[in-house]
Amino acid sequence: MLRAPVMPLPPRRSQYGVAPELVRKRAAELPDMVSVLVRDLFPDAAPVIYPGENGLEMIREATRKQMEKVDLSMIKPGDSVNVLGSHHGFTLLGGAPYAEMLRTIRDVVRERTGCTDIRLRVGVGLRFRESEEYIKAFGLDEYYEGKAAGVAPVDEGVAIETEIGTLYGIKRIYDARWIIHAHNSDVREVHFHRQVDRAVKPFGMSYARIETRSTYHQNLGPRAANFVARAIFDSPFVQEKFACAVFLMMSPSGVVGVDADNDLYALNDRVTYLGCRDYGKMMTLLGEIDEAITILDFPSPVPYVFAAGVIFANFAGANRDLFDLDDPLPPYTWYTEAFYGEDGQPLIEGVPPVNPAIKVVIHNYAWGGYPSAFFTEHIPTIVVGREQAELLNRDPQNISYTKHTLLAEDLDTAVRFAKRVAGTDKILAFDGASGALNVSRSLGEYLLQKAPLVSRRVDGELLPKWLKQRGIDPSRFKIC
Amino acid sequence: MRAVTLYAVVDVDKCKGCTRCERVCPVLAIKVENKKAVVDPQNCLGCANCEQRCPEMAITMAPLEQSRVVHESLAEVDMAAVIDLCRRAHLHPKQIICYCTATRAGEVAAAVLRGAKSPEEISRRTGVRTGCKVECIQPVLRLLHAAGIAPERPARGYQWYGLTPTVWDIPEEVKKKYAQRGFYFDEDRKLLDSLVGAGEKGGE
Repeated sequence: MLRAPVMPLPPRRSQYGVAPELVRKRAAELPDMVSVLVRDLFPDAAPVIYPGENGLEMIREATRKQMEKVDLSMIKPGDSVNVLGSHHGFTLLGGAPYAEMLRTIRDVVRERTGCTDIRLRVGVGLRFRESEEYIKAFGLDEYYEGKAAGVAPVDEGVAIETEIGTLYGIKRIYDARWIIHAHNSDVREVHFHRQVDRAVKPFGMSYARIETRSTYHQNLGPRAANFVARAIFDSPFVQEKFACAVFLMMSPSGVVGVDADNDLYALNDRVTYLGCRDYGKMMTLLGEIDEAITILDFPSPVPYVFAAGVIFANFAGANRDLFDLDDPLPPYTWYTEAFYGEDGQPLIEGVPPVNPAIKVVIHNYAWGGYPSAFFTEHIPTIVVGREQAELLNRDPQNISYTKHTLLAEDLDTAVRFAKRVAGTDKILAFDGASGALNVSRSLGEYLLQKAPLVSRRVDGELLPKWLKQRGIDPSRFKIC
Repeated sequence: MRAVTLYAVVDVDKCKGCTRCERVCPVLAIKVENKKAVVDPQNCLGCANCEQRCPEMAITMAPLEQSRVVHESLAEVDMAAVIDLCRRAHLHPKQIICYCTATRAGEVAAAVLRGAKSPEEISRRTGVRTGCKVECIQPVLRLLHAAGIAPERPARGYQWYGLTPTVWDIPEEVKKKYAQRGFYFDEDRKLLDSLVGAGEKGGE
């Protein structure tokens, strides 16, 4: 069941990464690399609607079908509607399925309500022009008739009164009569949100001002912080504008569907269940890896590069069960990072180390625009190419990233050196390959051997526990 | 501590004087005068906020001929006062509060004790808020608040709006209401308290 490597999507032209022509070789092109399909690891994985032979038509059809069950009668022809998106959606499978969902939402709202003032507002993380790049790349500005904009957390704010006090949103997110929350369900930074209120989180992140994000990351603690988003969503200010939510439903294999609801919490429960089930298996499997050289090879900042739907930051924490809320502190979050003193030693007991299975990281292709020095301080890292090192040196968020890295001229040299110092030939590429893991043959065989046991353990033991911790009755989803 | 290696350069032909750059600069180093943005290179910390938000793409970041380091020294500061201020803000002096510049709470506390009275002034002295520009405003406001300082927001600016709640402020009824949904308020408070109270290592 080891197959030829799945070629990842080509590098993306962006001001946050090196020019595509400077990415001279991909991890998937290395000798001895193979591919393990998610379906071969977990034969019960949910079927995908994309990628597939009918392409984006399946996304359009699923969005229309799901939106049929949503009440849009509150939107009148003369109203304004903001469709709220996030840059993260565009990092999934090249971005086309998310863009297609955003187009379809506009079409359906227009057809069913007669409303013409429909705008697209796309939030960002820490790269303030990233959404603008995606809007342009997918022609969304034209589709939304000039009413598509990227919004950043430093833009003009609006105060939102909540159950726990005043928090702040971005004014342009809320400058319409109605809002439609158009997001996706990939677990992404589960080390931060722990799959608690995943569907609500963007209200405390993509749509939030710096004060709110800082509250999330600095004021409440690694598990209580998830309440920030709920506090904002539950506020009268947001409730008065909220029309519905439409989600691209993701799994490690690809897009499994589209879900839509007027009740965000009902959708949130479904997202929680699917996220714990599908990503839970993949992440538990990654936690079984005993040693690996990890190659970053995807157009996103260091922690956000993908392998079978899971991001590198979660592999950095895979020595712990990130879904288990009884475990207070993951090996990587900003709370964890804050708990280390200048000497590199934890300030308190019980701070878990970064996944010791990651012997060496090879930074073949990854962006700046996210504070990533923590990773190079904790894991031996080789950066491929002077241009890439220079990009990080110029990044205000990564001034000390290369302080702890080695520089290699090319990928082959980096891999040869990494194998020698790490004493392993197991390689795992975070390259965004769709529905598969690109790995060395030895790691592929190891994963295939471990997967059945992981699957049984998640189904029988872990999944029911994870759901109960989140207030979801496992019997609702026929898990007991 | 912030190593400053870049500064903002304005293309006056492209600049339309919209003031967006002025409103987002965390150190107030760019100002619109006569409908054109003007950078104060002495104060610019190279954070690129202006470059990232300029709607006309009129700003680029250029390398400084000679880089410099911004840092508030903890030497000759009353360490007992630093520790006390940090603890009143529920922070440990050694904990990082700015992930991009690795600025620790003690350094910001020292800046406050030496007279800094606003987030902008603190940023100019420590470099905090000049990396991602997003994540570190609250600890800065918490330290100012703990020192009894109510800073004034930059007029018309978007630099910051206000202090927000902490885990120490969550009402009991909220905790009770959401206890079954995976929000671990008391447990996380205990974890953060253990950091704040962590021993001598942090105070040395």
